[in-house]
Amino acid sequence: MAAYRADDDYDYLFKVVLIGDSGVGKSNLLSRFTRNEFSLESKSTIGVEFATRSIRVDDKIVKAQIWDTAGQERYRAITSAYYRGAVGALLVYDVTRHVTFKNVERWLKELRDHTDSNIVIMLIGNKADLRHLRAVSTEDAKAFAERENTFFMETSALESMNVENAFTEVLTQIHHVVSRKALDIGDDPAALPKGQTINVGSKDDVSAVKKVGCCSS
Amino acid sequence: MPMTMMLKGKLKLPEKARRVFPDRLGSLVAGFDDNKDDKGGPDQLIESGEELETFQPNGFGLDREFDEDYDDDDGKSDGELDLRVRQKPDKEAVASVSVSEIIAADEKRSDLEYELSQKEINLEKLQRIACSGLPNEGGSRATAWKLLLGYLPASRDLWDKELTENRLKYAKLKEELLLSPSESSRKKDGLNSNEQHADSDVDGPLERHDVSHEDHPLNLGKASVWHQYFQFAEITEQIDRDLQRTHPDMKFFAGDSSLSRKNREAMRNILLLFAKLNPAIRYVQGMNEVLAPIYYVFSSDTDEQNAASAEADSFSCFVRLLSDSVDHFCQQLDNSAVGIHSTLSHLSELLKTNDEELWRHLQFTTKVNPQFYAFRWITLLLTQEFDFHSILRIWDSLLSNPFGVQEMLLRVCCAMLLCVKSRLLSGDFIANLKLLQHYPEINIEYLLQVAQDISPDTSSFRPSL
Repeated sequence: MAAYRADDDYDYLFKVVLIGDSGVGKSNLLSRFTRNEFSLESKSTIGVEFATRSIRVDDKIVKAQIWDTAGQERYRAITSAYYRGAVGALLVYDVTRHVTFKNVERWLKELRDHTDSNIVIMLIGNKADLRHLRAVSTEDAKAFAERENTFFMETSALESMNVENAFTEVLTQIHHVVSRKALDIGDDPAALPKGQTINVGSKDDVSAVKKVGCCSS
Repeated sequence: MPMTMMLKGKLKLPEKARRVFPDRLGSLVAGFDDNKDDKGGPDQLIESGEELETFQPNGFGLDREFDEDYDDDDGKSDGELDLRVRQKPDKEAVASVSVSEIIAADEKRSDLEYELSQKEINLEKLQRIACSGLPNEGGSRATAWKLLLGYLPASRDLWDKELTENRLKYAKLKEELLLSPSESSRKKDGLNSNEQHADSDVDGPLERHDVSHEDHPLNLGKASVWHQYFQFAEITEQIDRDLQRTHPDMKFFAGDSSLSRKNREAMRNILLLFAKLNPAIRYVQGMNEVLAPIYYVFSSDTDEQNAASAEADSFSCFVRLLSDSVDHFCQQLDNSAVGIHSTLSHLSELLKTNDEELWRHLQFTTKVNPQFYAFRWITLLLTQEFDFHSILRIWDSLLSNPFGVQEMLLRVCCAMLLCVKSRLLSGDFIANLKLLQHYPEINIEYLLQVAQDISPDTSSFRPSL
């Protein structure tokens, strides 16, 4: 706890990573969620960016420590370090660019290679406001998410649609898993803020709470 | 030790900086050299920065157009940012000038003009002038950068010939490498055989061209020229996406004007050509940011012919600039002695040598791994950390360092840490990471002075006392 400020009052600290191809809108999802800002002209992310926001989940204050990573292949080797300790992931594709959806599979594999098997994953189809340019159908993505046992939502960082919901849902699910896990192994929330890998329950446990999220605004 | 002395002797303190940071800096720097955990250090640092506020801006010259929205995307959500430094925005401090400073700037400009007009340019002299900052106006920065990068030879008589040759070479490369396989095979056909052959494109299926199986567009083999072409189409898309996001606050790069479109097109050619000529590296996100200052400076040259040839000149200089740091972009070399991790640990060593207290705090207490912030600083040569004018100013110093761009770059990075020492010491992991990922506005001259006075990393050798 020493490394964290006493005035920073929260019950849980969850590390969440944002991944997906370059240009799908990861940074804007982050800025929309943490600062309620959107920019059509944000710079490309090099390496990693970092932001936090605390929200209330059930009766607890959950602080989300969100790591936004560069999308390009070259940066993956470096960003793999950022996965360490992550308990949640938003895997983002762009609904107007099919290739970014196709690559979701690779991202998923990488995520599973580098993180705890019980990490809570949500597939995010961003830029849903660009209806006339849509290249990935909601049904396809939903089916994929069901198959891969991840949550799913479509969002628009520009229109602020579902962004709050998506993050809140992920954090809530993590909280559920962690609280149930805590029942199993004894409550030790103090261990969480140190950024260690948290075992969020056995594989079956997690599956049991997973459902496909709502995709309408 | 001898290294320090040599450096100090070689690079004279810029007049302006001397006036702005009279005595304090000396003792401060001595503090760094002593390598003691001097508690007074950080406070002095900030204080001497604050004194700058007494130099009020009188609305001189800096182009507001280039001011970044740095305030906006800062981690203000946290409210942890120390406002002391922010209250004196850098642009004002830099823009703050007195009559004597105008005179000093004039003198510097004429020094520079004199140096650049010599038949034989004295590179050492040029480095000395440039490290205190080159003028934004006129074409002297463009010429100076070309000289500092070794693109222009020292003797003036050779410039025309050299430039003409290089520009021709570039045009040829572009022609060879930036055409699609069908364009180039058509071109080849046009050269090697008669008209009839060239027409067969229209008349019949592609197979009638003597397309080998390897070169068929549907061949998935990696050696197929079409495979390579499609791969580059992907790279082109990536480059275009990034160029759209290069200094989006500047009309020169962003928006739909014909000027910005022309500039993006030129930059795309450069990056694509680089990618084709360097298949092991290709295009890596962020190269756009490294190219931007070069291309901007060369296109803004007041010499029309130079400005018109900015693309060709930028390409050569971009290659030269990257030559000693291109390994940072290469994933295969990440863990080698020349890769990014090794450079990051050099930075860490440099900090340890100069301020062990701060180093310890970052390394062990808050565990802020340099990879989390300095990775971007180093690979992008600081182009995403400051406003555009400050970037150009910092690059004057990087390019004019007699020990090379990378050596100075690490000094500046280390100085960036030292300049926010007190805030880092009071910050936790989250606060520190936010601070370093969104570096606060700072007086650039001051930062560079601190960088200049940093003692070299002595980890590789221990000076006898």
